[in-house]
Amino acid sequence: MTSRALSTDVLLGLLPIALLIALWQGLVSFELAPVALLPPPGLVFSRLLQQLVTFSFQQEIIATLFRLFTGFLIAVALGVGVGMVAAASPAINATVRPLVRVLAPLPKVALYPALLLLLGFGHESKIALVAADALFPILLSTYYGASTVEQKLIWSAMAAGTPRREILLKVVLPAAMPSILTGCRIGLVISCIVVFLAEMITSTDGLGHVLITAARTFQAVDMFVPLITISLLGLILNALLQAARSYLLRGFPEA
Amino acid sequence: MKVLPSRSSEVATPGPARQPATAMIEIDHVSQVFQTSARKDHLALSDISLTIEDGAFVSILGPSGCGKSTLLYIVGGFVSPTSGSAKVKGKTITAPGPDRGPVFQEFALFPWKTVLGNVMYGPRQQGVRATEAEAQSRALIEMVGLKGYENFFPKELSGGMKQRVALARTLAYHPEVLLMDEPFGALDAHTRTRLQNDLLNIWERDRKTVLFVTHSVDEAVFLSDKVVMMSRSPGRIRQVIDIDLPRPRRRTELLLDPRYQKYVVDIERMFDDIDEAGVNP
Ligand SMILES: Nc1ncnc2c1ncn2[C@@H]1O[C@H](COP(=O)(O)OP(=O)(O)OP(=O)(O)O)[C@@H](O)[C@H]1O
Ligand SMILES: [Mg+2]
Repeated sequence: MTSRALSTDVLLGLLPIALLIALWQGLVSFELAPVALLPPPGLVFSRLLQQLVTFSFQQEIIATLFRLFTGFLIAVALGVGVGMVAAASPAINATVRPLVRVLAPLPKVALYPALLLLLGFGHESKIALVAADALFPILLSTYYGASTVEQKLIWSAMAAGTPRREILLKVVLPAAMPSILTGCRIGLVISCIVVFLAEMITSTDGLGHVLITAARTFQAVDMFVPLITISLLGLILNALLQAARSYLLRGFPEA
Repeated sequence: MKVLPSRSSEVATPGPARQPATAMIEIDHVSQVFQTSARKDHLALSDISLTIEDGAFVSILGPSGCGKSTLLYIVGGFVSPTSGSAKVKGKTITAPGPDRGPVFQEFALFPWKTVLGNVMYGPRQQGVRATEAEAQSRALIEMVGLKGYENFFPKELSGGMKQRVALARTLAYHPEVLLMDEPFGALDAHTRTRLQNDLLNIWERDRKTVLFVTHSVDEAVFLSDKVVMMSRSPGRIRQVIDIDLPRPRRRTELLLDPRYQKYVVDIERMFDDIDEAGVNP
Protein backbone atom coordinates (compact mmCIF):
# COMPACT_ATOMS: atom_id res chain seq x y z
CA MET A 1 0.00 0.00 0.00
CA THR A 2 1.30 3.46 -0.79
CA SER A 3 1.72 5.98 2.02
CA ARG A 4 -0.88 8.17 0.31
CA ALA A 5 -3.51 5.43 0.34
CA LEU A 6 -2.51 4.65 3.91
CA SER A 7 -3.11 8.21 5.10
CA THR A 8 -6.48 8.27 3.32
CA ASP A 9 -7.35 5.09 5.19
CA VAL A 10 -6.32 6.66 8.49
CA LEU A 11 -8.45 9.72 7.77
CA LEU A 12 -11.44 7.56 6.88
CA GLY A 13 -10.90 5.60 10.08
CA LEU A 14 -10.79 8.77 12.20
CA LEU A 15 -14.10 9.99 10.79
CA PRO A 16 -16.45 7.72 12.78
CA ILE A 17 -14.41 8.38 15.95
CA ALA A 18 -14.80 12.14 15.39
CA LEU A 19 -18.54 11.62 14.82
CA LEU A 20 -18.82 9.66 18.05
CA ILE A 21 -17.16 12.46 20.00
CA ALA A 22 -19.42 15.00 18.25
CA LEU A 23 -22.46 12.93 19.24
CA TRP A 24 -21.19 12.83 22.80
CA GLN A 25 -20.72 16.61 22.80
CA GLY A 26 -24.20 16.98 21.29
CA LEU A 27 -25.79 14.90 24.04
CA VAL A 28 -24.19 17.16 26.62
CA SER A 29 -24.84 20.46 24.76
CA PHE A 30 -28.53 19.75 24.22
CA GLU A 31 -28.79 18.61 27.85
CA LEU A 32 -30.04 15.19 26.84
CA ALA A 33 -27.86 13.73 29.57
CA PRO A 34 -27.06 15.34 32.91
CA VAL A 35 -23.51 16.74 33.03
CA ALA A 36 -22.95 15.07 36.39
CA LEU A 37 -23.33 11.68 34.73
CA LEU A 38 -22.02 12.43 31.23
CA PRO A 39 -19.31 15.09 31.36
CA PRO A 40 -18.46 16.87 28.09
CA PRO A 41 -15.59 15.34 26.07
CA GLY A 42 -13.45 18.47 26.43
CA LEU A 43 -13.49 18.12 30.21
CA VAL A 44 -12.65 14.43 30.03
CA PHE A 45 -9.74 14.92 27.63
CA SER A 46 -8.27 17.80 29.59
CA ARG A 47 -8.49 15.70 32.78
CA LEU A 48 -6.85 12.86 30.89
CA LEU A 49 -3.93 15.10 29.92
CA GLN A 50 -3.62 16.26 33.53
CA GLN A 51 -3.64 12.71 34.79
CA LEU A 52 -1.19 11.35 32.22
CA VAL A 53 1.67 13.39 33.68
CA THR A 54 1.02 12.32 37.27
CA PHE A 55 3.19 9.55 38.69
CA SER A 56 0.31 7.74 40.34
CA PHE A 57 -1.74 7.50 37.14
CA GLN A 58 1.33 6.32 35.22
CA GLN A 59 1.73 3.59 37.84
CA GLU A 60 -1.84 2.45 37.14
CA ILE A 61 -1.16 2.34 33.42
CA ILE A 62 2.04 0.38 33.95
CA ALA A 63 0.26 -2.16 36.18
CA THR A 64 -2.40 -2.70 33.53
CA LEU A 65 0.07 -2.92 30.66
CA PHE A 66 2.29 -5.34 32.54
CA ARG A 67 -0.63 -7.71 33.14
CA LEU A 68 -1.89 -7.33 29.61
CA PHE A 69 1.49 -8.06 28.01
CA THR A 70 2.49 -10.92 30.25
CA GLY A 71 -0.88 -12.61 29.86
CA PHE A 72 -0.90 -12.05 26.11
CA LEU A 73 2.65 -13.35 25.64
CA ILE A 74 1.90 -16.47 27.67
CA ALA A 75 -1.16 -17.01 25.47
CA VAL A 76 0.93 -16.57 22.31
CA ALA A 77 3.63 -18.98 23.47
CA LEU A 78 1.13 -21.61 24.58
CA GLY A 79 -1.31 -21.13 21.72
CA VAL A 80 1.29 -21.22 18.95
CA GLY A 81 3.22 -24.06 20.60
CA VAL A 82 0.25 -26.31 21.23
CA GLY A 83 -1.43 -25.40 17.92
CA MET A 84 1.68 -26.29 15.92
CA VAL A 85 2.34 -29.54 17.74
CA ALA A 86 -1.30 -30.58 17.47
CA ALA A 87 -1.25 -29.95 13.72
CA ALA A 88 1.94 -31.98 13.34
CA SER A 89 1.02 -35.00 15.44
CA PRO A 90 -2.30 -36.84 15.15
CA ALA A 91 -1.75 -38.39 18.60
CA ILE A 92 -1.27 -35.02 20.30
CA ASN A 93 -4.17 -33.62 18.31
CA ALA A 94 -6.41 -36.42 19.56
CA THR A 95 -5.30 -35.68 23.13
CA VAL A 96 -5.69 -31.91 22.96
CA ARG A 97 -8.85 -31.66 20.88
CA PRO A 98 -11.44 -32.73 23.54
CA LEU A 99 -9.80 -30.47 26.12
CA VAL A 100 -9.97 -27.50 23.75
CA ARG A 101 -13.59 -28.33 22.87
CA VAL A 102 -14.53 -28.28 26.56
CA LEU A 103 -12.50 -25.25 27.62
CA ALA A 104 -12.82 -22.92 24.61
CA PRO A 105 -16.52 -21.99 25.02
CA LEU A 106 -16.21 -21.69 28.82
CA PRO A 107 -16.54 -18.06 30.02
CA LYS A 108 -13.06 -17.73 31.50
CA VAL A 109 -14.16 -14.91 33.81
CA ALA A 110 -16.06 -17.58 35.76
CA LEU A 111 -12.63 -18.93 36.70
CA TYR A 112 -11.60 -15.60 38.18
CA PRO A 113 -12.84 -16.21 41.74
CA ALA A 114 -10.95 -19.50 41.77
CA LEU A 115 -7.86 -17.82 40.33
CA LEU A 116 -8.05 -15.14 43.01
CA LEU A 117 -8.13 -17.74 45.77
CA LEU A 118 -5.36 -19.69 44.11
CA LEU A 119 -3.01 -16.89 43.01
CA GLY A 120 -3.96 -13.95 45.22
CA PHE A 121 -5.06 -10.41 44.49
CA GLY A 122 -1.83 -9.29 42.77
CA HIS A 123 -0.66 -9.58 39.19
CA GLU A 124 -0.78 -13.37 38.92
CA SER A 125 -4.54 -13.86 38.99
CA LYS A 126 -5.11 -11.18 36.34
CA ILE A 127 -2.32 -12.46 34.13
CA ALA A 128 -3.74 -15.95 34.36
CA LEU A 129 -7.20 -14.74 33.35
CA VAL A 130 -5.84 -12.73 30.41
CA ALA A 131 -3.79 -15.70 29.23
CA ALA A 132 -6.74 -18.09 29.57
CA ASP A 133 -9.00 -15.85 27.52
CA ALA A 134 -6.50 -14.93 24.80
CA LEU A 135 -5.21 -18.49 24.44
CA PHE A 136 -7.99 -20.11 22.45
CA PRO A 137 -8.30 -17.80 19.44
CA ILE A 138 -4.51 -18.00 19.05
CA LEU A 139 -4.42 -21.76 19.47
CA LEU A 140 -7.29 -22.41 17.08
CA SER A 141 -6.01 -20.14 14.32
CA THR A 142 -2.49 -21.56 14.66
CA TYR A 143 -3.87 -25.08 14.39
CA TYR A 144 -5.95 -24.13 11.37
CA GLY A 145 -3.05 -22.36 9.65
CA ALA A 146 -0.57 -25.13 10.37
CA SER A 147 -2.87 -27.91 9.19
CA THR A 148 -3.71 -26.21 5.89
CA VAL A 149 -0.12 -25.59 4.74
CA GLU A 150 0.25 -26.47 1.07
CA GLN A 151 1.69 -29.98 0.83
CA LYS A 152 4.01 -29.05 -2.02
CA LEU A 153 5.81 -26.44 0.09
CA ILE A 154 6.68 -29.23 2.50
CA TRP A 155 7.71 -31.54 -0.35
CA SER A 156 9.87 -28.85 -1.90
CA ALA A 157 11.71 -28.36 1.40
CA MET A 158 12.13 -32.09 1.99
CA ALA A 159 13.54 -32.57 -1.51
CA ALA A 160 15.98 -29.74 -0.83
CA GLY A 161 17.28 -31.75 2.12
CA THR A 162 15.31 -30.49 5.12
CA PRO A 163 14.90 -33.34 7.61
CA ARG A 164 11.34 -34.20 8.59
CA ARG A 165 11.75 -32.95 12.18
CA GLU A 166 12.84 -29.50 10.99
CA ILE A 167 9.89 -29.06 8.60
CA LEU A 168 7.69 -27.74 11.42
CA LEU A 169 9.97 -24.79 12.18
CA LYS A 170 11.30 -24.11 8.70
CA VAL A 171 8.14 -24.49 6.62
CA VAL A 172 4.96 -24.96 8.64
CA LEU A 173 5.54 -22.07 11.07
CA PRO A 174 6.36 -19.41 8.46
CA ALA A 175 3.66 -20.70 6.11
CA ALA A 176 1.05 -20.53 8.90
CA MET A 177 2.14 -17.03 9.93
CA PRO A 178 -0.81 -15.13 8.36
CA SER A 179 -3.25 -17.28 10.29
CA ILE A 180 -1.21 -17.12 13.51
CA LEU A 181 -1.05 -13.32 13.40
CA THR A 182 -4.80 -13.07 12.82
CA GLY A 183 -5.26 -15.14 15.96
CA CYS A 184 -2.81 -12.89 17.84
CA ARG A 185 -4.76 -9.82 16.81
CA ILE A 186 -8.00 -11.23 18.19
CA GLY A 187 -6.10 -12.37 21.28
CA LEU A 188 -4.73 -8.88 21.85
CA VAL A 189 -8.16 -7.24 21.73
CA ILE A 190 -9.47 -9.86 24.14
CA SER A 191 -6.47 -9.23 26.42
CA CYS A 192 -7.31 -5.50 26.58
CA ILE A 193 -10.91 -6.25 27.52
CA VAL A 194 -10.13 -8.95 30.04
CA VAL A 195 -7.38 -7.15 31.92
CA PHE A 196 -9.71 -4.20 32.44
CA LEU A 197 -12.55 -6.45 33.48
CA ALA A 198 -10.40 -8.32 35.99
CA GLU A 199 -9.20 -5.06 37.50
CA MET A 200 -12.78 -3.85 37.78
CA ILE A 201 -13.89 -6.98 39.59
CA THR A 202 -11.15 -7.22 42.18
CA SER A 203 -7.96 -5.21 42.27
CA THR A 204 -5.99 -2.68 44.24
CA ASP A 205 -4.52 -0.92 41.23
CA GLY A 206 -4.71 -0.68 37.43
CA LEU A 207 -7.00 1.29 35.11
CA GLY A 208 -10.03 -0.90 35.80
CA HIS A 209 -9.61 -0.27 39.50
CA VAL A 210 -9.38 3.52 38.88
CA LEU A 211 -12.71 3.37 37.06
CA ILE A 212 -14.47 1.41 39.80
CA THR A 213 -13.12 3.75 42.50
CA ALA A 214 -14.38 6.79 40.58
CA ALA A 215 -17.77 5.17 40.00
CA ARG A 216 -18.19 4.37 43.68
CA THR A 217 -17.60 8.03 44.53
CA PHE A 218 -19.72 9.36 41.63
CA GLN A 219 -16.75 11.08 39.95
CA ALA A 220 -18.09 10.92 36.38
CA VAL A 221 -15.05 12.63 34.81
CA ASP A 222 -12.59 10.32 36.56
CA MET A 223 -14.67 7.39 35.42
CA PHE A 224 -14.24 8.29 31.77
CA VAL A 225 -10.49 8.90 32.00
CA PRO A 226 -9.41 5.26 32.43
CA LEU A 227 -11.96 4.22 29.81
CA ILE A 228 -10.45 6.54 27.23
CA THR A 229 -6.96 5.49 28.32
CA ILE A 230 -7.58 1.78 27.74
CA SER A 231 -9.12 2.53 24.32
CA LEU A 232 -6.08 4.56 23.35
CA LEU A 233 -3.76 1.84 24.61
CA GLY A 234 -5.70 -0.72 22.59
CA LEU A 235 -5.41 1.48 19.53
CA ILE A 236 -1.65 1.88 19.94
CA LEU A 237 -1.05 -1.82 20.62
CA ASN A 238 -3.13 -2.81 17.61
CA ALA A 239 -1.17 -0.39 15.44
CA LEU A 240 2.11 -1.89 16.69
CA LEU A 241 0.87 -5.41 15.97
CA GLN A 242 -0.33 -4.29 12.55
CA ALA A 243 3.13 -2.89 11.79
CA ALA A 244 4.76 -6.15 12.88
CA ARG A 245 2.23 -8.02 10.75
CA SER A 246 2.90 -6.00 7.60
CA TYR A 247 6.61 -6.61 8.05
CA LEU A 248 6.36 -10.32 8.77
CA LEU A 249 3.82 -10.96 6.01
CA ARG A 250 5.40 -8.73 3.38
CA GLY A 251 5.81 -11.69 1.03
CA PHE A 252 2.28 -13.04 1.41
CA PRO A 253 -0.26 -12.16 -1.28
CA GLU A 254 -3.14 -11.19 1.00
CA ALA A 255 -1.16 -8.98 3.40
CA MET B 1 8.54 -44.70 -35.73
CA LYS B 2 9.78 -47.25 -33.28
CA VAL B 3 7.15 -48.30 -30.82
CA LEU B 4 8.30 -50.26 -27.83
CA PRO B 5 6.42 -52.09 -25.12
CA SER B 6 6.79 -50.89 -21.56
CA ARG B 7 8.92 -53.77 -20.33
CA SER B 8 12.05 -52.13 -18.99
CA SER B 9 14.38 -54.85 -20.27
CA GLU B 10 13.23 -54.25 -23.82
CA VAL B 11 13.57 -50.49 -23.87
CA ALA B 12 16.36 -49.35 -26.13
CA THR B 13 18.72 -46.47 -25.56
CA PRO B 14 17.01 -43.39 -26.88
CA GLY B 15 18.22 -40.32 -28.65
CA PRO B 16 21.61 -39.26 -29.87
CA ALA B 17 24.87 -41.10 -29.28
CA ARG B 18 25.97 -41.01 -25.65
CA GLN B 19 28.10 -42.96 -23.21
CA PRO B 20 26.84 -46.45 -22.43
CA ALA B 21 23.48 -45.87 -20.78
CA THR B 22 23.15 -46.65 -17.11
CA ALA B 23 19.79 -46.84 -15.46
CA MET B 24 19.07 -43.76 -13.33
CA ILE B 25 15.51 -44.62 -12.37
CA GLU B 26 14.00 -48.07 -12.32
CA ILE B 27 10.29 -48.39 -11.74
CA ASP B 28 9.49 -52.00 -11.12
CA HIS B 29 5.90 -53.33 -11.15
CA VAL B 30 4.57 -50.33 -9.28
CA SER B 31 0.89 -50.22 -8.39
CA GLN B 32 -0.87 -47.56 -6.37
CA VAL B 33 -4.21 -47.98 -4.66
CA PHE B 34 -5.92 -44.98 -3.07
CA GLN B 35 -8.65 -45.23 -0.46
CA THR B 36 -11.35 -42.82 -1.50
CA SER B 37 -14.63 -42.02 0.19
CA ALA B 38 -16.70 -42.55 -2.97
CA ARG B 39 -15.04 -45.63 -4.44
CA LYS B 40 -13.53 -47.67 -1.66
CA ASP B 41 -10.34 -48.73 -3.43
CA HIS B 42 -9.17 -46.85 -6.46
CA LEU B 43 -6.41 -48.35 -8.56
CA ALA B 44 -4.54 -45.25 -9.75
CA LEU B 45 -1.51 -47.05 -11.17
CA SER B 46 -1.42 -50.64 -12.30
CA ASP B 47 1.81 -52.58 -12.71
CA ILE B 48 4.03 -49.82 -14.06
CA SER B 49 7.53 -50.80 -15.13
CA LEU B 50 9.85 -48.29 -16.69
CA THR B 51 13.56 -47.69 -16.81
CA ILE B 52 14.97 -44.22 -17.38
CA GLU B 53 18.58 -43.94 -18.37
CA ASP B 54 21.03 -41.47 -16.96
CA GLY B 55 20.79 -38.20 -18.84
CA ALA B 56 17.57 -39.03 -20.68
CA PHE B 57 14.73 -36.59 -21.14
CA VAL B 58 11.55 -38.61 -20.72
CA SER B 59 8.02 -37.24 -20.93
CA ILE B 60 4.91 -38.84 -19.56
CA LEU B 61 1.75 -38.19 -21.53
CA GLY B 62 -1.74 -39.34 -20.78
CA PRO B 63 -5.32 -38.28 -20.12
CA SER B 64 -6.19 -36.45 -16.93
CA GLY B 65 -6.40 -38.72 -13.90
CA CYS B 66 -4.29 -41.54 -15.38
CA GLY B 67 -1.78 -41.26 -12.55
CA LYS B 68 1.03 -39.19 -14.07
CA SER B 69 1.48 -37.04 -10.98
CA THR B 70 1.21 -40.06 -8.72
CA LEU B 71 4.00 -41.79 -10.63
CA LEU B 72 6.18 -38.68 -10.33
CA TYR B 73 5.46 -38.41 -6.59
CA ILE B 74 6.49 -42.03 -6.15
CA VAL B 75 9.83 -41.34 -7.82
CA GLY B 76 10.12 -38.20 -5.69
CA GLY B 77 9.62 -40.27 -2.56
CA PHE B 78 6.62 -38.17 -1.53
CA VAL B 79 4.23 -41.10 -1.91
CA SER B 80 5.16 -44.71 -1.32
CA PRO B 81 3.71 -47.23 -3.76
CA THR B 82 1.18 -49.80 -2.60
CA SER B 83 3.21 -52.51 -4.31
CA GLY B 84 6.34 -52.76 -6.42
CA SER B 85 9.35 -50.55 -6.01
CA ALA B 86 11.09 -47.57 -7.50
CA LYS B 87 14.85 -47.19 -7.44
CA VAL B 88 17.19 -44.34 -8.11
CA LYS B 89 20.76 -45.33 -8.97
CA GLY B 90 19.97 -48.84 -7.78
CA LYS B 91 18.73 -47.75 -4.36
CA THR B 92 15.09 -48.20 -3.39
CA ILE B 93 13.33 -44.87 -2.93
CA THR B 94 11.88 -44.45 0.55
CA ALA B 95 11.94 -40.69 1.06
CA PRO B 96 12.53 -37.44 -0.81
CA GLY B 97 16.16 -36.52 -1.33
CA PRO B 98 18.26 -33.83 -2.98
CA ASP B 99 19.20 -36.21 -5.80
CA ARG B 100 15.63 -35.78 -7.12
CA GLY B 101 14.39 -32.22 -7.50
CA PRO B 102 10.68 -31.54 -8.11
CA VAL B 103 9.23 -28.62 -10.07
CA PHE B 104 5.47 -28.29 -9.64
CA GLN B 105 2.81 -26.70 -11.82
CA GLU B 106 1.81 -24.53 -8.82
CA PHE B 107 5.44 -23.33 -8.39
CA ALA B 108 5.25 -23.94 -4.60
CA LEU B 109 7.69 -21.11 -3.86
CA PHE B 110 8.11 -20.09 -0.22
CA PRO B 111 6.04 -16.89 -0.04
CA TRP B 112 7.97 -15.59 2.98
CA LYS B 113 11.29 -15.69 1.13
CA THR B 114 12.57 -13.46 -1.64
CA VAL B 115 13.70 -14.85 -5.00
CA LEU B 116 17.24 -15.06 -3.64
CA GLY B 117 16.04 -16.60 -0.38
CA ASN B 118 14.08 -19.25 -2.26
CA VAL B 119 17.01 -20.19 -4.49
CA MET B 120 19.46 -20.20 -1.58
CA TYR B 121 17.25 -22.49 0.48
CA GLY B 122 18.56 -25.76 -1.01
CA PRO B 123 22.28 -24.99 -0.87
CA ARG B 124 21.89 -23.75 2.72
CA GLN B 125 20.12 -27.00 3.64
CA GLN B 126 23.00 -28.86 2.04
CA GLY B 127 25.41 -27.07 4.36
CA VAL B 128 26.90 -24.67 1.81
CA ARG B 129 28.24 -21.52 3.52
CA ALA B 130 25.99 -18.46 3.22
CA THR B 131 28.33 -16.35 1.10
CA GLU B 132 29.01 -19.21 -1.28
CA ALA B 133 25.34 -20.20 -1.49
CA GLU B 134 24.47 -16.61 -2.28
CA ALA B 135 27.04 -16.34 -5.06
CA GLN B 136 25.85 -19.61 -6.62
CA SER B 137 22.24 -18.58 -6.33
CA ARG B 138 22.81 -15.18 -7.91
CA ALA B 139 24.50 -16.90 -10.85
CA LEU B 140 21.54 -19.29 -11.21
CA ILE B 141 19.04 -16.46 -11.04
CA GLU B 142 20.95 -14.75 -13.82
CA MET B 143 20.97 -17.97 -15.82
CA VAL B 144 17.18 -18.27 -15.69
CA GLY B 145 16.96 -14.65 -16.83
CA LEU B 146 15.89 -12.96 -13.60
CA LYS B 147 18.89 -10.78 -12.83
CA GLY B 148 17.67 -7.72 -10.96
CA TYR B 149 14.78 -9.57 -9.33
CA GLU B 150 16.80 -11.12 -6.47
CA ASN B 151 15.02 -9.15 -3.77
CA PHE B 152 11.50 -9.47 -5.15
CA PHE B 153 8.97 -11.64 -3.40
CA PRO B 154 7.23 -14.37 -5.43
CA LYS B 155 3.92 -12.49 -5.28
CA GLU B 156 5.56 -9.65 -7.20
CA LEU B 157 6.43 -11.90 -10.18
CA SER B 158 4.45 -13.14 -13.17
CA GLY B 159 3.65 -16.85 -13.57
CA GLY B 160 6.50 -17.42 -15.99
CA MET B 161 8.96 -15.67 -13.69
CA LYS B 162 7.75 -17.71 -10.73
CA GLN B 163 8.34 -20.92 -12.64
CA ARG B 164 11.87 -19.75 -13.51
CA VAL B 165 12.52 -19.15 -9.83
CA ALA B 166 11.12 -22.58 -8.99
CA LEU B 167 13.44 -24.16 -11.57
CA ALA B 168 16.42 -22.20 -10.20
CA ARG B 169 15.52 -23.19 -6.65
CA THR B 170 15.56 -26.85 -7.65
CA LEU B 171 18.71 -26.62 -9.80
CA ALA B 172 20.48 -24.89 -6.89
CA TYR B 173 20.93 -28.13 -4.95
CA HIS B 174 22.19 -30.00 -8.02
CA PRO B 175 19.69 -32.84 -8.25
CA GLU B 176 20.66 -35.58 -10.67
CA VAL B 177 17.03 -36.04 -11.64
CA LEU B 178 14.51 -33.30 -12.36
CA LEU B 179 10.90 -34.28 -11.71
CA MET B 180 8.68 -31.81 -13.50
CA ASP B 181 4.89 -32.03 -13.12
CA GLU B 182 3.26 -29.95 -15.84
CA PRO B 183 5.67 -27.14 -15.00
CA PHE B 184 4.52 -24.98 -17.89
CA GLY B 185 0.85 -25.96 -17.73
CA ALA B 186 -0.28 -22.74 -16.09
CA LEU B 187 1.56 -20.44 -18.50
CA ASP B 188 0.48 -18.71 -21.70
CA ALA B 189 1.66 -20.13 -25.03
CA HIS B 190 4.42 -17.61 -25.58
CA THR B 191 5.92 -17.90 -22.10
CA ARG B 192 5.60 -21.66 -22.34
CA THR B 193 7.65 -21.74 -25.57
CA ARG B 194 10.36 -19.55 -24.09
CA LEU B 195 10.61 -21.67 -20.98
CA GLN B 196 10.75 -24.85 -23.07
CA ASN B 197 13.70 -23.41 -24.98
CA ASP B 198 15.43 -22.33 -21.80
CA LEU B 199 14.88 -25.71 -20.19
CA LEU B 200 16.36 -27.44 -23.25
CA ASN B 201 19.39 -25.14 -23.19
CA ILE B 202 19.99 -25.91 -19.53
CA TRP B 203 19.51 -29.61 -20.21
CA GLU B 204 21.91 -29.61 -23.19
CA ARG B 205 24.49 -28.10 -20.87
CA ASP B 206 24.47 -30.54 -17.98
CA ARG B 207 22.32 -33.42 -19.23
CA LYS B 208 20.39 -34.12 -16.07
CA THR B 209 17.89 -36.92 -16.17
CA VAL B 210 14.45 -35.35 -16.62
CA LEU B 211 11.08 -36.91 -15.96
CA PHE B 212 8.57 -34.49 -17.41
CA VAL B 213 4.78 -34.77 -17.06
CA THR B 214 2.70 -32.91 -19.59
CA HIS B 215 -0.66 -32.78 -21.33
CA SER B 216 0.82 -31.34 -24.48
CA VAL B 217 1.86 -33.74 -27.26
CA ASP B 218 3.74 -30.94 -28.90
CA GLU B 219 5.75 -30.18 -25.81
CA ALA B 220 6.51 -33.85 -25.18
CA VAL B 221 7.84 -34.45 -28.70
CA PHE B 222 9.80 -31.21 -28.79
CA LEU B 223 11.60 -31.84 -25.50
CA SER B 224 12.00 -35.59 -25.14
CA ASP B 225 14.15 -38.54 -26.05
CA LYS B 226 11.30 -40.79 -25.08
CA VAL B 227 7.58 -40.31 -24.64
CA VAL B 228 5.68 -42.61 -22.30
CA MET B 229 1.99 -42.85 -23.20
CA MET B 230 -0.31 -43.80 -20.37
CA SER B 231 -3.94 -44.87 -20.39
CA ARG B 232 -6.56 -44.39 -17.76
CA SER B 233 -8.52 -46.48 -15.26
CA PRO B 234 -6.34 -48.05 -14.12
CA GLY B 235 -3.24 -46.05 -15.04
CA ARG B 236 -1.07 -48.18 -17.28
CA ILE B 237 1.79 -47.59 -19.66
CA ARG B 238 0.33 -47.90 -23.15
CA GLN B 239 3.43 -47.35 -25.19
CA VAL B 240 6.93 -45.96 -25.03
CA ILE B 241 7.93 -44.00 -28.10
CA ASP B 242 11.51 -43.06 -28.93
CA ILE B 243 11.75 -39.58 -30.36
CA ASP B 244 14.56 -39.78 -32.85
CA LEU B 245 15.12 -36.14 -33.67
CA PRO B 246 18.47 -34.37 -33.83
CA ARG B 247 19.67 -32.14 -31.01
CA PRO B 248 20.10 -29.34 -30.25
CA ARG B 249 16.52 -28.76 -31.27
CA ARG B 250 15.17 -25.49 -32.56
CA ARG B 251 11.45 -25.09 -32.43
CA THR B 252 11.20 -23.18 -35.70
CA GLU B 253 13.17 -25.83 -37.55
CA LEU B 254 11.32 -28.72 -35.96
CA LEU B 255 7.91 -27.34 -36.84
CA LEU B 256 8.87 -27.72 -40.51
CA ASP B 257 10.43 -31.14 -40.03
CA PRO B 258 8.15 -33.93 -41.37
CA ARG B 259 9.56 -36.39 -38.82
CA TYR B 260 8.51 -34.09 -35.99
CA GLN B 261 5.09 -33.64 -37.55
CA LYS B 262 4.66 -37.39 -37.87
CA TYR B 263 5.51 -37.98 -34.22
CA VAL B 264 2.98 -35.36 -33.16
CA VAL B 265 0.21 -36.71 -35.39
CA ASP B 266 0.88 -40.35 -34.48
CA ILE B 267 0.85 -39.61 -30.77
CA GLU B 268 -2.27 -37.48 -31.06
CA ARG B 269 -4.03 -40.37 -32.83
CA MET B 270 -2.95 -42.66 -30.04
CA PHE B 271 -4.32 -40.14 -27.56
CA ASP B 272 -7.69 -40.21 -29.33
CA ASP B 273 -7.73 -44.02 -29.15
CA ILE B 274 -7.00 -43.89 -25.43
CA ASP B 275 -9.71 -41.30 -24.89
CA GLU B 276 -12.27 -43.43 -26.71
CA ALA B 277 -11.17 -46.50 -24.77
CA GLY B 278 -11.42 -44.43 -21.60
CA VAL B 279 -15.10 -43.73 -22.14
CA ASN B 280 -15.96 -47.41 -22.27
CA PRO B 281 -13.16 -49.35 -20.60
N1 LIG C 1 -4.23 -38.62 -2.32
C1 LIG C 1 -5.14 -39.24 -3.10
N2 LIG C 1 -6.20 -39.85 -2.54
C2 LIG C 1 -7.11 -40.49 -3.31
N3 LIG C 1 -7.06 -40.56 -4.65
C3 LIG C 1 -6.04 -39.95 -5.26
C4 LIG C 1 -5.03 -39.25 -4.53
N4 LIG C 1 -4.15 -38.74 -5.42
C5 LIG C 1 -4.60 -39.12 -6.62
N5 LIG C 1 -5.72 -39.84 -6.56
C6 LIG C 1 -6.45 -40.44 -7.68
O1 LIG C 1 -5.53 -41.12 -8.47
C7 LIG C 1 -5.78 -40.89 -9.84
C8 LIG C 1 -4.53 -40.35 -10.51
O2 LIG C 1 -4.27 -39.06 -10.01
P1 LIG C 1 -3.08 -38.18 -10.59
O3 LIG C 1 -3.13 -36.88 -9.89
O4 LIG C 1 -1.82 -38.93 -10.49
O5 LIG C 1 -3.50 -38.01 -12.11
P2 LIG C 1 -2.81 -37.16 -13.25
O6 LIG C 1 -2.56 -38.10 -14.38
O7 LIG C 1 -1.65 -36.41 -12.71
O8 LIG C 1 -3.97 -36.16 -13.66
P3 LIG C 1 -3.83 -34.68 -14.23
O9 LIG C 1 -3.34 -34.81 -15.62
O10 LIG C 1 -5.22 -34.14 -14.17
O11 LIG C 1 -2.88 -33.95 -13.34
C9 LIG C 1 -6.98 -39.97 -9.92
O12 LIG C 1 -8.11 -40.73 -10.21
C10 LIG C 1 -7.09 -39.38 -8.55
O13 LIG C 1 -8.43 -39.19 -8.22
MG1 LIG D 1 -1.23 -34.34 -12.38
